[in-house]
Amino acid sequence: MEALANLLHGFTIAISPYNLIIAAFGVFLGVIIGVLPGLGGTSGVAILLPLTFTMPTTSAIVFLSCIYWGALFGGAITSILFNIPGEPWSVATMFDGHPMARQGKAGQALASAFIPGFFAALISVLLFTFFAPPLAELALKFGPAENFAVLTLAFSTFTGLGAGSPAKTIASACVGFLLAAVGLDIVTGKPRLTFGSIEMLSGFSFITASIGLFGIGEILLAAEEALEFKGVQGKIGLRDIWVVVRILPRNLLTFITGTILGFWIGVMPGTGATPASFMSYGMAKQYSKHPEKFGTGVPEGVMATESAAHAAGIGALLPLVTLGIPGSPTAAVILGGLYIWGLQPGPTLFTQQKDFVWGLIASMYIGNVIGVLFCLSMVPLFAAILKTPYAILTPLIILLSSIGAYAVHNTTLDIWLLPVYGLIGYVFKKLKYPLAPLVIALVLGDMTEEALRQSLILSGGSLAIFFTRPIAAGFMILTIFLFLLPAIRPLARRVGRTFKVEEGEKAAEG
Amino acid sequence: MKRAEIICALALVAVAGIGVAEAVRLGFGWGPSGPRAGFFPFWLSLILGLCSLTNLGKAIRMSAATGGPPKPFVSRKLLKPVLAVFLPMTAAVLLFEVVGFYLAAALYLAFYMRWMGRHSWPAVLAVGILFPVATFLILERWFLIPLPKGLFEKYLPF
Repeated sequence: MEALANLLHGFTIAISPYNLIIAAFGVFLGVIIGVLPGLGGTSGVAILLPLTFTMPTTSAIVFLSCIYWGALFGGAITSILFNIPGEPWSVATMFDGHPMARQGKAGQALASAFIPGFFAALISVLLFTFFAPPLAELALKFGPAENFAVLTLAFSTFTGLGAGSPAKTIASACVGFLLAAVGLDIVTGKPRLTFGSIEMLSGFSFITASIGLFGIGEILLAAEEALEFKGVQGKIGLRDIWVVVRILPRNLLTFITGTILGFWIGVMPGTGATPASFMSYGMAKQYSKHPEKFGTGVPEGVMATESAAHAAGIGALLPLVTLGIPGSPTAAVILGGLYIWGLQPGPTLFTQQKDFVWGLIASMYIGNVIGVLFCLSMVPLFAAILKTPYAILTPLIILLSSIGAYAVHNTTLDIWLLPVYGLIGYVFKKLKYPLAPLVIALVLGDMTEEALRQSLILSGGSLAIFFTRPIAAGFMILTIFLFLLPAIRPLARRVGRTFKVEEGEKAAEG
Repeated sequence: MKRAEIICALALVAVAGIGVAEAVRLGFGWGPSGPRAGFFPFWLSLILGLCSLTNLGKAIRMSAATGGPPKPFVSRKLLKPVLAVFLPMTAAVLLFEVVGFYLAAALYLAFYMRWMGRHSWPAVLAVGILFPVATFLILERWFLIPLPKGLFEKYLPF
């Protein structure tokens, strides 16, 4: 039980007064980010990243991950009370949450989101605590060939499990890789794709790209919809909590399925809380005794969605700390943070940065406790934020985005790129090009290229190296299978109806 | 929608073309230290080009299959609110370099609140002054993150 001893050590770090305040501050900001429809978790974490530059690394990761937990909680408030998704992963929460609120059961709907969400997060952190160390130990034995195979596996999940068109998904990832290639070549040091420009030598900042593509793009899309916040008042009483705690055992199957499914989807690179929430909702509906009631305000609908979303959020950090691969776009931003703090993401964290890793894991427990307490007690306060007029909120979010983009490298070029990325994000979203592959390719580009080139140097240019080493070969075969999956799926659909669930996951960010 | 799909696919084909051209210039084959600098961009550009051509083909065939009236990418009615967000934002971003973040932020907030939101002048002034002051205190004093001050860089004591 070495993990347990390490975890206890982690708690002594996470529970220090400074880290506790940082965690509470992060969760609080995260809930606000979650509540605001124009500001998603991915761009929210990216905007707040510069605040961590003066913090010790453990506090910095506690801060960023707690923002993520807060945002996972906050999205449900807007969805349930206002019938507008605060986050993409709380879209499915609206289906049953808002009808419940309309029937005067707003408190119960909110409690059905927070309490199962909290328990799902807790179970996922437990899974995390005991799965992460052996996985990291395995990953420590990886050479460049295995690393490249894992990375391609990460990208194959986009086409294999994503709902978008495969050609668009691959195109989006390629654009990200090409953007990552701009600047100095990592091996030969030659400038490439810079076209003689000095500014471009340092390459494209990944943080600016995620703020622009996700944040500004989302604001432009929201402008089309002319949001109006006419909501239902909601407050959670002790009675609501009691009702939910009582009906939870009756829906244990829904809850457990949602949690396990969510955790698994979260671990799969690139697919975060959003597809997890849709899939879990679809499963709950399909296996329910009364599927026709879904959408009219049944608490199971909210429970299924929220438990999967929270579990996926935790799961997304598992490949991040063990393999150096982000499980979701928000985790990708956190990975970008690790590079900036001077850490090497991946399995070596477990041997060289014990305080960092176990402090993070302990703070997952603490952050989710803080999150559920904040949300259960302060819903009216958070809902009041949505009364801020649109004409103040929009420029404020844009200004905060520019600060976030500027502060990473202190170059105005990054701010200028924001509207450009925003426009690309807006067009891509409308044409259903998924954005997550682009952002993840941009952050993993150098690592992927290095792994590929080192493997080829080792093998003298032969691709056989990826198939002669057993671990690499296993990953490669799985990769090829996932890339071919879109072609196989029409056949599979005739066999089982389960695949229909995936049609619900239109947006693939989380 | 169809035209937008075609333009987007063509733009990506162009990006792929640039990538291939650059990779050829750098060399994409085997060099003295393994694969040359253009190796990775070359294959990615090639894949990007192939995928974009597939998307292009799909887009061209799209309208024939659906029949019905073509769906516009952005209707004229919706274009206005989108531009109302995009254009002031672009203007603000360009202003940062000239007059610095704080003044540009104040002007941008004031413009947006007054002309888009029709808020009263006292509210405009309050937000327009409070936000830059608050960001200054939080960022430069507390988190030690300097923001661009444009023309005033030389004259300010901090």
